[in-house]
Amino acid sequence: MRRTLLVITFVLVAAAAFADIFDRPAKVNLVVDNAEAFSRRHAEALRTKLDSFERATTVQIQIYTTKDLYGYDIVDFAQRLGEGWGVGKEGANNGIVIVYMPKTLTENGEVTIQTGYGIEPLIPDAVCKQIVESEMIPRFKQGLIYKGIDQAVDVCISLTQGEFTAEKYIADKAKIDRIAKIIAQCIILFLIIIPSCLFVIYFIVALCLGLFKGYTISSNGSSGGSSSRSFHISSHRSYGGGHFGGGGARGSW
Amino acid sequence: MKTKGCLIAVVAVVLIGIFSVVVWYIKTGNKIVRLDEGVAESWAQVENVYQRRADLIPNLVATVKGYAEHEKTALTDVVEARAKASSVNVNPEKLDAQSLQQFEQAQGNLSSALSRLLVVVERYPDLKANQNFSELQAQLEGTENRIAVERRKFNEVAREYNTYIRQFPASIVANSRGFEKKAYFEAQAGSEKAPEVKF
Repeated sequence: MRRTLLVITFVLVAAAAFADIFDRPAKVNLVVDNAEAFSRRHAEALRTKLDSFERATTVQIQIYTTKDLYGYDIVDFAQRLGEGWGVGKEGANNGIVIVYMPKTLTENGEVTIQTGYGIEPLIPDAVCKQIVESEMIPRFKQGLIYKGIDQAVDVCISLTQGEFTAEKYIADKAKIDRIAKIIAQCIILFLIIIPSCLFVIYFIVALCLGLFKGYTISSNGSSGGSSSRSFHISSHRSYGGGHFGGGGARGSW
Repeated sequence: MKTKGCLIAVVAVVLIGIFSVVVWYIKTGNKIVRLDEGVAESWAQVENVYQRRADLIPNLVATVKGYAEHEKTALTDVVEARAKASSVNVNPEKLDAQSLQQFEQAQGNLSSALSRLLVVVERYPDLKANQNFSELQAQLEGTENRIAVERRKFNEVAREYNTYIRQFPASIVANSRGFEKKAYFEAQAGSEKAPEVKF
């Protein structure tokens, strides 16, 4: 009995821990170095490169290093991470996730590149495999972790560069924005109409019941000027809600 | 005069009541339709990734044939299993347990025929060094991952739909409009992990 309880507690705790990893963080950090694979300088260099690439193209490349995959297969882990965090923009699905697990004395090192749906045609699985096998693993074997990842990132950047542009994305976004505005106005209109209808009905009923004899309708001056403003493009950076379908490749050394 | 006023009030209240029930019925029905569409879309995605795998097979078989001519049984097994798997059609409107199981079985047979072929291939170093083959291998591996992902996504969407249509009061709408529960993919032992394709 006690053992069952213990097991249940363990499972619950473990489940809570899993849920946390794949929950979308509030702030964007494209280089998450939990395994401390990079020096601070290198991590910063990588982050700067990825940030400026994102600004130029909206493509998000997420680097994640970890010593523990919490029982997941590395590909599964990377896919869930990408999907859960929403790496890449919603609609464009232009995110890439690179997960790296260092080699230990007992276990092989592992690495995977997972491509969002929108990246799949630009970097097919065979190309991912090629990047892993020829850019990453040979360098990882020599202990050049930063070099390997950096090279792989460069290849990903050169392959996706032409396809996505920030202007195109913003234009798309502006269109959605306009629609959102119209919907918001409809909702507000609706919110005004229903209460006024209810008021009128109440008024008629009250009038009929003769409770408010001599009641005169006062104009209820509701103005609808507060609808705009809230729907402009936010310059706040966030993970956008890109989706991942399991495309990509893995490798170990 | 007073009774007449009361009558009008009662009629108004009843009308409003009927109106809101009708609105609720339509809205709930529409939500079910939307969820149902989501399931159908997700199913299309599942079929899509299985089709992707099926599309890789002729190329794979041709490449293997060039190097391993006498592995006839393994090769014909794959070809036959592929033909069988392609012939199983599931009506996306229905997706009941039986049709899903049939689909699963046919695709499972293809999976095992494929893995048998890949074990056999282990004996041919020349083939393994072939560029075309290693590309196919990477694509096949990616496709197996995609299958695992889309199956999981399908289950999530189907679960959302099932939960909604079976909850009161939405269940009334679902029953009256003939919406039925969808089946899930069964999680096979170890299916959390995408099957690893090793060569």
